[in-house]
Amino acid sequence: MRLPRFEYLRPSSLYECLELLEGSGHESRIMAGGTDFLVSLKQGVISPQKVISIRSVPELGSVSEDAEGNLQIGACANLSDLVKHSLVLKKLPALHDAISSVGSMHIRNMATIGGNLCLAPRCWYYNQSKQWRHAVEGCYRTGGKVCHAISGSKRCHAINSSDTAPMLIALGARVCLQKKDNKRWISLREFFRDDGRHHTVLEKGEMLTSVIIPCETGKDRSTFIKIQHRKGLDFAIGSIGASVKGNGRKKEISLIINSISSVPLFLAKAAETVMESGFNESAIGKAAEIARGETGAVTNLFTSAGYKRQIVEVLVKRALSSLKRK
Amino acid sequence: MKSIITLNVNGEVHEIAVNPWRTLVDVLREDLKLTGTKRACEQGACGVCTVIMDGKAILSCLALAVDCAGHSITTIESLGSSDGLHPLQQSFIDNGAVQCGFCTPGVIMTAKALLDENPNPDDTAIKEALAGTYCRCTGHIKTVEAVKKAVQAGREVK
Ligand SMILES: Cc1cc2nc3c(=O)[nH]c(=O)nc-3n(C[C@H](O)[C@H](O)[C@H](O)COP(=O)(O)OP(=O)(O)OC[C@H]3O[C@@H](n4cnc5c(N)ncnc54)[C@H](O)[C@@H]3O)c2cc1C
Ligand code: SF4
Ligand code: FES
Ligand code: FES
Repeated sequence: MRLPRFEYLRPSSLYECLELLEGSGHESRIMAGGTDFLVSLKQGVISPQKVISIRSVPELGSVSEDAEGNLQIGACANLSDLVKHSLVLKKLPALHDAISSVGSMHIRNMATIGGNLCLAPRCWYYNQSKQWRHAVEGCYRTGGKVCHAISGSKRCHAINSSDTAPMLIALGARVCLQKKDNKRWISLREFFRDDGRHHTVLEKGEMLTSVIIPCETGKDRSTFIKIQHRKGLDFAIGSIGASVKGNGRKKEISLIINSISSVPLFLAKAAETVMESGFNESAIGKAAEIARGETGAVTNLFTSAGYKRQIVEVLVKRALSSLKRK
Repeated sequence: MKSIITLNVNGEVHEIAVNPWRTLVDVLREDLKLTGTKRACEQGACGVCTVIMDGKAILSCLALAVDCAGHSITTIESLGSSDGLHPLQQSFIDNGAVQCGFCTPGVIMTAKALLDENPNPDDTAIKEALAGTYCRCTGHIKTVEAVKKAVQAGREVK
């Protein structure tokens, strides 16, 4: 499988990188670890004229702790390095579990956290060879007027399959988005878009440069669970990041599910149920049942919406039970 | 446009002109004639193309050769010599972990990267590392067994 031709650019500083992004507009695309990007290029789903290789931009590789104990991770921090990083191991074991679940050791040795968060949504029709796609007319995402994955759908429902996203949202992470002349911080929850066309809020010439994760304090605890067809080298059928912050009446629970629809989903009602009634068996059961209806699951990537709702129920039950034990 | 890059493969430095859209596996096989590294899925899903870069097992089908310039790459060709096989190679033969042999270079390089970092991995660590590889003949039990036996034998597996 050959790659299409492109011009290769390798900025040696963040400033140069942002300048290149600004200058080349829609013709250029960023490549970090390349584990998703190069597959898309080979399948011909994208064909940029210029590829900006960012993995050796020095400012993007750092991992550090600030004065308040928050963890700041550069967009190009490598997943295998993060799994072994003492700060991640010590402070955020659930994030460690989420990162360890991505692909295989080989994939993690190449992939970056920024690339995982910006991972293009996937679909059984779209993520195939060009010949496959061309056997029928194009879908919304490829310039056509139909959706092949969900017949009758008025929009694209490709699936967001990032495993670190649900965990990082549950942990309250924020991301830094930078352009040549602008820098903004937003919560990771607001980073994803669900309009069927753009999957993130990134603007032209803008890129993700770092992630900051607030430190867990006192009784804070979190957990990550992923269900996949086989253990290892597989995307999730569903994965959940869950956290409890504070305790007693001020307790705040976050339940975030991904790989079910186009964006990571916030299960607010399910979380509220447990916040109100506490971590008892019946509240957990009720929350899991409520979560089923909260998801807007779609049939794509070889699993039906009904099956996914079942997965959501199981994930919520397991995550809440795990938080109860911790 | 071609760029001139320096690739350090198995301790030998090659200066070659490559187009940016060439993957590492293509350059290894076609330009450097190191055909030990195989190509199969070419989409990151089978591990057949595994080589070691700076001590880490990576997929050469998902790496641009230009991105590998200046890094140190080790391929299956560096293992064993005319005097004898590498202990991992021998263990794969002894334990029936080689049938058609197509996946073998990738599985062995994966195992080598693991053992270089941790000479005494437990079963879980071996399985986790090998989970990134596919063997359609032996059914995975034998490849895991071969690595285990190599470790148990306490042989020099570096
Ligand atoms: C066989 C296989 C199995 C996989 N399994 C999983 C899995 O289980 N879970 C999972 O989550 N993923 C999985 N992946 C997908 C992918 O490998 C990971 O998501 C990985 O973390 C992507 O990171 P990367 O650095 O390689 O990204 P790249 O491939 O370099 O980039 C991915 C996308 O993000 C964009 N991008 C990258 N960095 C930035 C940035 N800083 N700012 C803006 N845009 C950016 C790129 O333009 C591209 O569109 C799998 C992939 C393969 C091939
Ligand atoms: S979900 Fe529908 S529109 Fe979106 S990529 Fe798949 S087939 Fe195309
Ligand atoms: S050929 Fe590279 S992973 Fe299959
Ligand atoms: S020996 Fe044939 S694929 Fe593994």
